[in-house]
Amino acid sequence: MKQIALYGKGGIGKSTTSANLSAALGAKGLDVLQIGCDPKRDSTRMLMQGVWIPTVLDLIREKGEDSVSTDEVVRKGFAGVRCVEAGGPEPGIGCAGRGIIATFRLLERLGALQGDVIVYDVLGDVVCGGFAMPMREGYAEEVYLVTSGELMSLYAANNIAKAVARLAKRSKQTCSLAGVICNAKNMAGEEELVREFARRINSEMVAYIPRSRTVQLAEVHKQTVMEYAPDSEQAAVYQELAGRVLTNDRTSIPTPIEMDELEDLALQFAEI
Amino acid sequence: MNSKTSHSSSQRYEGCTLTGALSITTQVEDAVTVVHGPEGCAHHNVSLLHAAMAEQGHPAIPKIVPTRLSEQGVIFGGEEDLAATLRAMADRRPGVIFVLTTCITETIGDDAASVCSEDYGVPVVLLPTAGFLGGCFSDGLNAALTTMAAKADPVEGAGETVTIIGEKNLEYEVEENFAEVERLLASLGLEVGLRFVRDVRYADLKQVGTGRLNVLREPSLAPVGEALKERFGTPYISSFPIGLDGSIAFLEEVGTLLGLRTDGAVRREEERQSAMLDSFADLRGSVFSIDPMTFRALECTPVRRVMEALDLQVDSDGAGVSLPYSPPVGTAGIRRLLHRWRRRVHA
Repeated sequence: MKQIALYGKGGIGKSTTSANLSAALGAKGLDVLQIGCDPKRDSTRMLMQGVWIPTVLDLIREKGEDSVSTDEVVRKGFAGVRCVEAGGPEPGIGCAGRGIIATFRLLERLGALQGDVIVYDVLGDVVCGGFAMPMREGYAEEVYLVTSGELMSLYAANNIAKAVARLAKRSKQTCSLAGVICNAKNMAGEEELVREFARRINSEMVAYIPRSRTVQLAEVHKQTVMEYAPDSEQAAVYQELAGRVLTNDRTSIPTPIEMDELEDLALQFAEI
Repeated sequence: MNSKTSHSSSQRYEGCTLTGALSITTQVEDAVTVVHGPEGCAHHNVSLLHAAMAEQGHPAIPKIVPTRLSEQGVIFGGEEDLAATLRAMADRRPGVIFVLTTCITETIGDDAASVCSEDYGVPVVLLPTAGFLGGCFSDGLNAALTTMAAKADPVEGAGETVTIIGEKNLEYEVEENFAEVERLLASLGLEVGLRFVRDVRYADLKQVGTGRLNVLREPSLAPVGEALKERFGTPYISSFPIGLDGSIAFLEEVGTLLGLRTDGAVRREEERQSAMLDSFADLRGSVFSIDPMTFRALECTPVRRVMEALDLQVDSDGAGVSLPYSPPVGTAGIRRLLHRWRRRVHA
């Protein structure tokens, strides 16, 4: 079983990338489980044709932890991908990080964490121990950083690399960095910048996903690209990513860089 | 960001902030104290306070109600649990509801202040008591006293009575110590009006500004004494009298602050003290071995002075005795100490 996690800045396209990756893996006949780890629960929406599936935490809240069954929290979506949403509190109250921990404990007890590939779609940044949980407890063995060439998303990616480096030092650690995915904004020099960033943090750019109108169109039709336009160029990009993820056996302990170095790097590649 | 003292300087009074505040709020007879947090935070304190009260001859169960925060409350926020608990408690029409927060509810950022500001039909007083924010036992205690003092009614002109501030409600000899201070004040013709806070009702607390004089239990309560002095102009004495000399000094200080003649009372107290020492003449020259855990308390001058007066010796072969954690209050405190030592010698 392969367990991968996608981390990156909020709004960078982790859910879109995760959903299309899961769909592409599912289309290959693999048993895929995608877990959305964000209180706004929009990770699996396109895989579920726009259906908001009940979240693990809502079910725990309504029925109590002992009454929740696997069938209620795991819903089958496009290409047979099994979908789970952790959910969380209303914005501004409670502790969503603790919610992630509670969700994982429940999924583990239900025996729901199985399949050929588990894709963890994690909240924008590693804001606390709760959100580092998928890495820390060995659920996410391979971490992919999703970033564009924009400085803000590189900051976030570099920060997450710090978390991976920190957690990788622990004795029982099984998580490591598997690569950087460039979800492009179609800026000039972007591909080279992200490739160099990945190299500097002791990793590798494993996919370049160009910005495409097809993604937007698929979204408004409440579908993944893999479902909406299976023969499109963009679908081919996700299929290639899926192939790369499946065969990827090169992981590393990242070496996050200083902010100054990061900014110099961006300046160097920006074509002004 | 707050920080705590290191382990090496850890003292008993650096314990749980919540416990410090509860030692005060649970002394208000018609109050209910809601602990906003897990059951354990409340249970631990109920046992501790119950044991202390039983030891003092009042085996009542302190009125503490937890909001029973669980993992679900942590994840989704505990504000609704707090509001529900407050509504349920308000139905019982207590004189006041004190709300004490805990480490976990402050960690997740529950807005207890806004929940408490709703109208429940009874007064609701919030005390933030998360220890990890830098607080300890004495901070909780001081915060409880200061918050309650701030609720007091304004007064015009000083009254006739003396107010006792911040008795150590968890110590074994709390009533004996109070009685000693009451006796010394009575020898000057003064009466105690309010014990702030012990065995009172919520309405009584509003009278905290009406005393002629405030007597603090110990010097660490100075901020409370200062706050009351600033608000009501009441002078204060910073500690209960300690030992024999302390009793005399206490009488003189009260006299100075209130413009009273003290010669007669001082003379009678000195006579009382020498009669008391004479009654322990049988101990003269006895040898004690002091429990090493309390050995440092020997540095307590009032105890040292009494040992000298009775020519008591310290040697590891002597009768084993321990010294009190708190220094003995007044002439009576020394008498009780000597009684205990006598029992050891004749054991």
